[in-house]
Amino acid sequence: MFGSNKTRGENKIAVQCKNVLLRIFFRVFTIFLSVTICLFSSLMSAQNIHVITYEESPYAVMVGKTQKGLLVDMLKEMFARSGLQYELRFMPLKRAITTAEFKANHCVLPIVRSQEREANFQWVSPVLVSRYGLFSHQNQSIPLVTLSDAKDYKIGSFLGSGIGEYLMDLGFQVELTALSVQNIQKLKRGRFELWAAGLINARELMKKQGVTFVKPELVFYTSIRAMACNKNLSSEYVDKLTVALIAMYHDGYMDSLYREYGAIFE
Amino acid sequence: MYNRSLHFIFINLVFTVLLSGFAVHASATSAESPAQKWITNEFQPSTLTIDEQIQEMDWFIEVSKPFQGMQIRVVSERITTHWYEASVLAKAFYEITGIHVVHELTGEDDVIKKLSAQIATQQNIYDAYINDSDLIGTHFRSNAVLPVSDFIKGEGASVTLPSLDLADFIGLKFTTGPDGKLYQLPDQQFANLYWYRHDWFNREDFKQRFKSRYGYELGVPQNWQAYEDIAAFFSEDIKEIDGQRIYGHMDYAKTDPSLGWRMSDAWLSMAGVGDTGLPNGLPVDEWGIRVEQCRPVGASVERGGALNSPAAIYAVDKFQYWLTKYAPAESTTLNFTQAGEWPAKGIIAQQIFWYTAFVANLTQPGLAVMNADGTPKWRVAPSPVGKYWQAGMKSGYQDTGAWTLLKNTPLKRQQAAWLYAQFVVSKTVSLKKTLVGLTPIRLSDIESDVMTERAPYLGGLVEFYRSRGRDIWTPTGTNVPDYPGLANYWWQYISQIIEGKVSTQEGMDNFATAVDNHLALISENTEMKCAPKLNPISSKTFWLNQNGAPKAINNNTAVGRTLPYLEAINVWK
Repeated sequence: MFGSNKTRGENKIAVQCKNVLLRIFFRVFTIFLSVTICLFSSLMSAQNIHVITYEESPYAVMVGKTQKGLLVDMLKEMFARSGLQYELRFMPLKRAITTAEFKANHCVLPIVRSQEREANFQWVSPVLVSRYGLFSHQNQSIPLVTLSDAKDYKIGSFLGSGIGEYLMDLGFQVELTALSVQNIQKLKRGRFELWAAGLINARELMKKQGVTFVKPELVFYTSIRAMACNKNLSSEYVDKLTVALIAMYHDGYMDSLYREYGAIFE
Repeated sequence: MYNRSLHFIFINLVFTVLLSGFAVHASATSAESPAQKWITNEFQPSTLTIDEQIQEMDWFIEVSKPFQGMQIRVVSERITTHWYEASVLAKAFYEITGIHVVHELTGEDDVIKKLSAQIATQQNIYDAYINDSDLIGTHFRSNAVLPVSDFIKGEGASVTLPSLDLADFIGLKFTTGPDGKLYQLPDQQFANLYWYRHDWFNREDFKQRFKSRYGYELGVPQNWQAYEDIAAFFSEDIKEIDGQRIYGHMDYAKTDPSLGWRMSDAWLSMAGVGDTGLPNGLPVDEWGIRVEQCRPVGASVERGGALNSPAAIYAVDKFQYWLTKYAPAESTTLNFTQAGEWPAKGIIAQQIFWYTAFVANLTQPGLAVMNADGTPKWRVAPSPVGKYWQAGMKSGYQDTGAWTLLKNTPLKRQQAAWLYAQFVVSKTVSLKKTLVGLTPIRLSDIESDVMTERAPYLGGLVEFYRSRGRDIWTPTGTNVPDYPGLANYWWQYISQIIEGKVSTQEGMDNFATAVDNHLALISENTEMKCAPKLNPISSKTFWLNQNGAPKAINNNTAVGRTLPYLEAINVWK
């Protein structure tokens, strides 16, 4: 029985040692787990969302190696408010849209949220409200009351802007150029009678070219552009960005930003 | 609501508009006022006499004086009626009143996004919207929309047309909230009806073959079984006419928002998913959402809704079965716009779901579906109903595009926009507008002699609008508290079923859960009038054993039933 007792005593010590070791192991494991979770969480929150845009003054332009523009500032504020990290790159519009559609964690802005695109992305909207007008040469007044009044005229627009395609869809005679700036020269040379362009962008282009056309004959369309994100981006991120964006409209940030860039919304 | 990329509709109209514009200028004399000129050259016929028209225009001229020189911006979807307004009526309004209206045209989905953006951002993007009454449940809860009935009594009283005659509008009940307030003023409306080739259905050889095979007459189907029999008959039995492959059914199912509208535009009501009640079932509507004292309490059967009920499963199953078995193979890859071009090809025998906004388009001379004398070879008739449908329920979809003013638009701009809104629905212009766009809003126009003369050329449209059918085909109702937020779920969840990723039951269960979750989310908005308040989860059996929707499974096989055309269109008299 004693032997048994001795054995029992030895066993007791062994069990106590085992318990201590187990406790140490669990403590170390818990610390390791916590550190891992923390690291993983911080890695997740630090994960950059890749935002792509294209050059369109005054919304997004490269000045040397610096990104500038209304949308560049807007993105900075929106991501800061939502506590998310991002990285902004420039690329041609069509490639930007394809990249955001097929690459995880990518977004593109500003693009029109059309029915055809609706199912292919998640959306943060509205990032930009733009008005489009028909400009005539300063020597030729073409009074327009309705858009239909422009039916008899040839209209120039920029391929990929969306507005030229809209007019073509309605049966207008539209000549599309590869670059928006080419339209100014074409209008000057009388290659077409009306130039369809976004009001803010047209003003910037005319300023750069040293050209002054009269006010647009008709402001005929309004577009609302959005940031389109890959379908696999966390919906939590999309919600956070949307909440931040709407708050920026409500607290006057967007109004100030539009004024700063002379893009007063009318 | 339906896909609104209808540019092809108004290409022909463009020329009509231009010609009418030239006609106006050519025949105007210097002595005529702009109002007289437009009345004489454009606004004929009218249910008003010329003197009454002049009187109405004189009112517009006088009241518009403080607003002269203003530019107003409004937006609507792109259908023939709105193209006419944007191109002809906006110009007339400018010449008559001096108020310049830019009437923008875009897709209805874009109209909703713009309206939502204006509400969310508080920026005055437009001064007025023509927006589907499908959003009535959203509007009356949002506190963002200015009720027209309040405006007329208040700050809009001085600019409200004495001869507006609200009682003459046939769609007011669709734009009225449960609080009794009129939120929107109807501008155009159209129904979704059964469309079929009347000439083929009257061929003696086809009639005999059909009767010998199915035991009843080939005619306008009254139930889904008859529709299915006729679909099988043309797709599998007749197969070819004059050497051309023909089909007994046409539809579309591309993963696209238009697939959602195909379903949410009352497809479930035609199956009989909801409760009785007009314009929408109560307490459960055709979206399967149950309300208790105006508060949505759930869409899933477990919460008393019917979105995943046996009747809803039946509705979606039938849609998929007919699509794959009887429609052209391409139909699964088509969206609404692409599919809309098919009936004109002359190879479709019937379509259970067809928007009458297409009547103007499908009555163009020279089409394969038109006779040489200008009458159509096709007819529209009341749609057949599914086996869960009961008398007293809505039978299909009707859309009322209606003028909507937002509270965050400055008052003077609201008033000027309201003047334009009333102008384009005034009795001076509404009959002419109805003849151009075929989307009637006024009873006086529908009952006019002019419409009687036009009736044989419009394939049953006039007969439908002169019947009680105009009250039984209705838009989405007030049970839906957030149309823009919930509408996307339809195509996202239905497409998973169509693509075979989930079974119909799984897909509708997921869909119902998503709607319940969305209702729970918006129930957190404490300021919302009639905000959702979800029922606790109970067993499906509990709810399926109650009276009304959600309805228990019906395993009966219906017997096909048809009626001759004239009897079919008299059903709703």
